[in-house]
Amino acid sequence: MHALLWVSLLLQTQTAAPAVPPEAVSLLQSGLQSESSNDLDSAIAAFRKAADLAPSSAVVFFRLGEAYMKKGDYSDAIPPLKHAAGLNPDAPAIQQLLGFALLAAGYASEAIPHFKKVDEPGPLGVAQLQAGSPAEAIVNLRAALAKTPNDPDLLFYLSRAGAQLSSQSLDNLLAAFPDSPRTHQAKGQSYFEQKMYVEAEKEYQRALALRPDLPGLRLELGQIYEAQSDWPKAEKEFRLEVKTQPGNGEAAYRLGDVLLQEGKMKEAAEELQRSNTIRPDMADTLYSLGRATAASDPTAAERAFTRVTELEKQTALAAQAYLALAGVHRKLGKSEQASRDMQEYRRIQASIVVAP
Amino acid sequence: MSSIQKAIILLVSLCTVGAVSQEPKGSDHIFHVIPMRGVDFVLRNSPTQKKYLIETMPGGVAILDYNNDGLMDIFLVNAGHVRDPMSPGMGFDRHEPTYWNRLYRQNKDGSFTDVTEQAGLANAGDTNYGMGVAVGDYDNDGYPDIYVTNYGRNILYHNNGDGTFTDVTAKAGVGAGGWSVSAGFFDYDNDGKLDLFVTRYLDWSIERSKTCGEKQPTYCPPGDFPPIANILYHNRGDGTFEDVSLSSGIAAKKGHGLGVAFADYDGDGFTDVFVANDVAPQFLFHNNGNGTFSEAGLDSGAALTSNGKMLSGMGVAFQDYDNDGLPDLLVTQLPHQPYIAFHNEGHGTFSAQELESGLGALSGQVSGWGVGLEDFDNDGWKDAFVMQGHVFDNINFYDGSLHYLDPPLLAMNRKGHFEKGDAGSDVPVAGRGAAFGDINNDGWIDVLTTSLGDHPRLFQNRGGNSHWLTISLQGRRSNRDGFGARVQVNGQTRFATASGSYLSSNDKRLHFGLGDAETANIEIRWPSGVRQTMKNVKAGQFLAIEESVAP
Repeated sequence: MHALLWVSLLLQTQTAAPAVPPEAVSLLQSGLQSESSNDLDSAIAAFRKAADLAPSSAVVFFRLGEAYMKKGDYSDAIPPLKHAAGLNPDAPAIQQLLGFALLAAGYASEAIPHFKKVDEPGPLGVAQLQAGSPAEAIVNLRAALAKTPNDPDLLFYLSRAGAQLSSQSLDNLLAAFPDSPRTHQAKGQSYFEQKMYVEAEKEYQRALALRPDLPGLRLELGQIYEAQSDWPKAEKEFRLEVKTQPGNGEAAYRLGDVLLQEGKMKEAAEELQRSNTIRPDMADTLYSLGRATAASDPTAAERAFTRVTELEKQTALAAQAYLALAGVHRKLGKSEQASRDMQEYRRIQASIVVAP
Repeated sequence: MSSIQKAIILLVSLCTVGAVSQEPKGSDHIFHVIPMRGVDFVLRNSPTQKKYLIETMPGGVAILDYNNDGLMDIFLVNAGHVRDPMSPGMGFDRHEPTYWNRLYRQNKDGSFTDVTEQAGLANAGDTNYGMGVAVGDYDNDGYPDIYVTNYGRNILYHNNGDGTFTDVTAKAGVGAGGWSVSAGFFDYDNDGKLDLFVTRYLDWSIERSKTCGEKQPTYCPPGDFPPIANILYHNRGDGTFEDVSLSSGIAAKKGHGLGVAFADYDGDGFTDVFVANDVAPQFLFHNNGNGTFSEAGLDSGAALTSNGKMLSGMGVAFQDYDNDGLPDLLVTQLPHQPYIAFHNEGHGTFSAQELESGLGALSGQVSGWGVGLEDFDNDGWKDAFVMQGHVFDNINFYDGSLHYLDPPLLAMNRKGHFEKGDAGSDVPVAGRGAAFGDINNDGWIDVLTTSLGDHPRLFQNRGGNSHWLTISLQGRRSNRDGFGARVQVNGQTRFATASGSYLSSNDKRLHFGLGDAETANIEIRWPSGVRQTMKNVKAGQFLAIEESVAP
């Protein structure tokens, strides 16, 4: 029924088209019936014969192309759809299907004008991404997401487009300024993401040699040392970053956390508290603050961990906070509260494990 | 083996021993690393490209006085020949002297004599790949017996008291099977007879082994194989043991057990058990005092790191490091996971203090195995010593910041906080086992270590001016070794045991550093419940204390 409606709609747009011979109409109907019973080979055979009898009918070629699409033969779908589009360039359904066929067959650039004609920002964005135009793709994918906000495919392609744009920008930077501090920083970041710490460290050192005052460099270099559990070196870099950027809450957090790893609990607590003042209610900061004060000031630790449980609900960090709270409550002699904390810990842990 | 092969092995051994004696020493190092005259043992683990997991796990070492001559002897567990690949029915060539376990008797001049064959300890069986050792006088005849764990069947050697041992495994019923790792004797029901606990790592076999690694073959993580329960054997007192793993509740928990240690953490008079599990919550088996145990790791706070992560628990020490009278735990683990100090908070609870204790800052990039809490500088605070080396012999390929070979860690205890010390050797090894004791009877604790593919190393304490006291317990109502006794000297506490570390067995004597004190007050709580006190005991002596008959 749906297919027949499509045919009538298409026929309506063919105002100037010549009449279709009765044999071709009969074959068209036969093909549609085969198609509705999922006999795609018979449908294609019928549509092909109809196309031979009615070479000027956009409908017949559209149906043939659509049958190929349903069968997954995207390349075979393209010629009849192009023929249909030539016969009826204003039919949105033909343009849309041709765009999909081209995109599916890998001809993303060719697909773009067809999607533009039918105002389909989603597939247009995907085609632009595939064609190597991530900036344009992002605009269209965002427009599509405005209509269907939580579409997982659109979100996936948007993230891909963002990554590609970032990569392109980086390539441009590397090509234009091969020895700039930002180039070395970008290279260092890339090595860091690949866990190539030695290479990453070298790049950051090069960047620092060129621009020792560049904000963020020390912070990122410190994170390379942090990832290798080289706490003293990480502390040194974070301290330098904090000196340059005393108002940077992230730098204060990093410094506090590495001091914590070194067992310098008092200094760690001070720095983490400072970070929490600059950037309040960051759960990671509060959790580290709780750890830093757990032994010396259990009441302060209790406050910090409790706040984490208020900010985080069903996350691993929430579970960790409840576990830590249980320890603090045991220390404070609040055994019943400790038991409740452990119940919460187990409940969240179970939900995390069960979740896919 | 041809005579040429033997000559090559001997030459390699001599060259390596020679290299050890040239290790650089700092000015404030605690130990000399010295060659042991007469000890030509090499731990042969036989690494292969198939990466059978057993290859990277051995091997144990024990410090014991097997002939009661007052000189500490040593027992070393060898591994075996692993072929590449292994086919069904193949053994580990343990009949070859190269792969024997070895007993070395200490001579009066400090040298050692290999007495393996005459003691009846040669050839541990071709189907057994060696792992660890436990020592205890299970029949209370005054001579220490030896239990050897294997991938295969474990072996109990009864000490005949005449310098020889007899394999009594079949009669005793303690062969276990599968893959056993660490073991220890303790008296869980305070009946005066030592029982036996055996950790098991994985439900694994050569036939079900697999290789991991994308670019280079490497060992698979423990999570790739099913967990398995540990074993508890109850000593019936007639030379036989009963497997009470199920009835005691021990088998109710399956894990990836490696190290094991014992102490009464909640002061109820019954010895509890801690099992270091690899990539799993740690097990703290609370002794209920009625023959059963309840696993209390999570609820007591001794199962996870302070941020709720699972540990790759390997070795463990269970002693009081902050002199508050309560036994704490120190657990070693893999890189990027700091060694954990579970501080005993009292009332049966612990807090993970890997950071507060200072251990986190000392252990981020290394893997720890054998571990001990001993007072190496006799200042009255127990220090930590850890044998280190990664599981993977190609770890550098996967993580450039890590190494397969690492020197050991010495962490000096400064009133409950650990700081890096100088162990006297920066030579990196694939460290595994470590046993602690006063090998040369000078009042200063030494360390005997094992490393894969390498000879054992003796970290001999250089000594100093501080005072000390070493106590040998002899139980009467309690087990003869006095295992499970709590001994307090001048505000320090030790829990009598030879167990702990990894795969290894320590000198059972209780050593106390006294600092400047020239006398000591001693208080003992025996497993029988008997309490004994001694006042103004002179420092600088080896003191034998027999359990009082009176309650």
